Amino acid sequence: MDYVQTLIMAFISVVLVNNLVLTKFLGICPYLGVSGRLDMAFGMGMAVTFVVTLAGTLTWLIDHLILMNPALEAYGLDVTRYVCFILVIAGAVQLVEMYLRKFFPTLYESFGIFLPLITTNCAILGLCLFLNLWDIHNFAQAVVLSFGAGIGFTIAICIMAGIRENLNMADVPKCLRGAPITLITAGLLTLAFMGFAGMIK
Amino acid sequence: MSEILLANVTELWNTAWPAGLIMLGLAAVFAIVLLIASIKLKVEVDPKVEQVHKALPGIDCGACGYAGCASYAKAVVENPELIGKCAPGGAKVAAQIGAILNLQISESGPPKRPIVHCRAHKDDKTCYADYQGIETCTAANALANVQACKFGCLGFGDCVAACKFDALHIIDGLATVDYQKCTGCGACAKACPRDLIKMVPFTNENMLVVACSSKEAGKDTRKMCAVGCIACGLCAKQTELFTVSNNLAGMDYEKYQPDDKTEIAYNKCPTCVIVYRGKNAPAPRQPKKKAEEKV
Repeated sequence: MDYVQTLIMAFISVVLVNNLVLTKFLGICPYLGVSGRLDMAFGMGMAVTFVVTLAGTLTWLIDHLILMNPALEAYGLDVTRYVCFILVIAGAVQLVEMYLRKFFPTLYESFGIFLPLITTNCAILGLCLFLNLWDIHNFAQAVVLSFGAGIGFTIAICIMAGIRENLNMADVPKCLRGAPITLITAGLLTLAFMGFAGMIK
Repeated sequence: MSEILLANVTELWNTAWPAGLIMLGLAAVFAIVLLIASIKLKVEVDPKVEQVHKALPGIDCGACGYAGCASYAKAVVENPELIGKCAPGGAKVAAQIGAILNLQISESGPPKRPIVHCRAHKDDKTCYADYQGIETCTAANALANVQACKFGCLGFGDCVAACKFDALHIIDGLATVDYQKCTGCGACAKACPRDLIKMVPFTNENMLVVACSSKEAGKDTRKMCAVGCIACGLCAKQTELFTVSNNLAGMDYEKYQPDDKTEIAYNKCPTCVIVYRGKNAPAPRQPKKKAEEKV
């Protein structure tokens, strides 16, 4: 039971307390760039969730089976971590893209350019590196954290898109229209999410 | 010197090879996986779709009714009846697509271009109050009495925002088409909340146009606008091209050919509503100012 509880806590922690976008400031470019419309934001969030779960799991496996393998410790392989992770992410995105194109063409078309763009989403590389930084030594926990990071990203970008859709109707002062009000919104949202800090010890 | 260099290179090699090997190994694994995936998950794309896509202008204007050129290309290959829908490409692109799909294309009519059925500039209009709301025509149109005329151009430029070719501008409170740049995609006609902009077949380089949409009675129109149609019927007396109904002169654009009668109608129109529009259209006549009439 303790084990399941740990996993649930890890999930909540990465979704709310350590939300990659709103507390770690990773993945800001899609967060600001694709949050104009709610349906597109949700699509982007789903794509990121999918890729980050896959990439997080794969990189955790590579990290633990190869790079941090005690037998290979003498070679100092962990210097290649960044490059290896990027390789894994790019490969995973390519694979996902091909798979979607073959079996879910409508989904593929609605993702459009976002799918290949996920390769350069720093939230994903960030999560893969955080798994190492947080000393996650448990495979299930790594999977849950990866999935949770994707859900956290989706929540953040969907909240942002919802606000921005309503901002279109608002009478914003002329000097704040467009990017400035978006950045102010992002800042306020971040402040709000700071309220979750300390919720989980 | 060379010994030091050699020693450095050797040291680098000795420390770096395992990392390099791992990288190469991972890269090879992924390359193989992706190669297998690309063969197993190959999607057959009709080469015709690609050819048609290349022939299209590639500006994704949406005039055809599809999301972009790519989806139109796909649709047109599946259903060749859709062939003439690309307005910016016009007859040329239609012919190209026809060649790709082995079809004979019948000659389509003259190209369609938008005409703004209003000619009132800022000074011609009457306004009761200063509008301070959201600066789009759609928003302004929802409000009564933004300007006296309920039919005329609002001049906030919804059509300008819709135009992807920089072919529409608000000049002194009136949407004005730049026919040099216009491709006839029709986006402006869809954008105008007052339905002022209509796509009209240009039978001539310059078209004679009834540039007013006011259905108010002539007396009321005259109060509201210096250049509104008062439905006097002088044009309809000259030639059958013109008809007057609903307090507004109309015109059969498809049958228009310039001749003496249309020229007389153009010159006789008391409020100068009938104007030329087109690439080299002459400057419109200006009505006599009320002050001058008194003198």
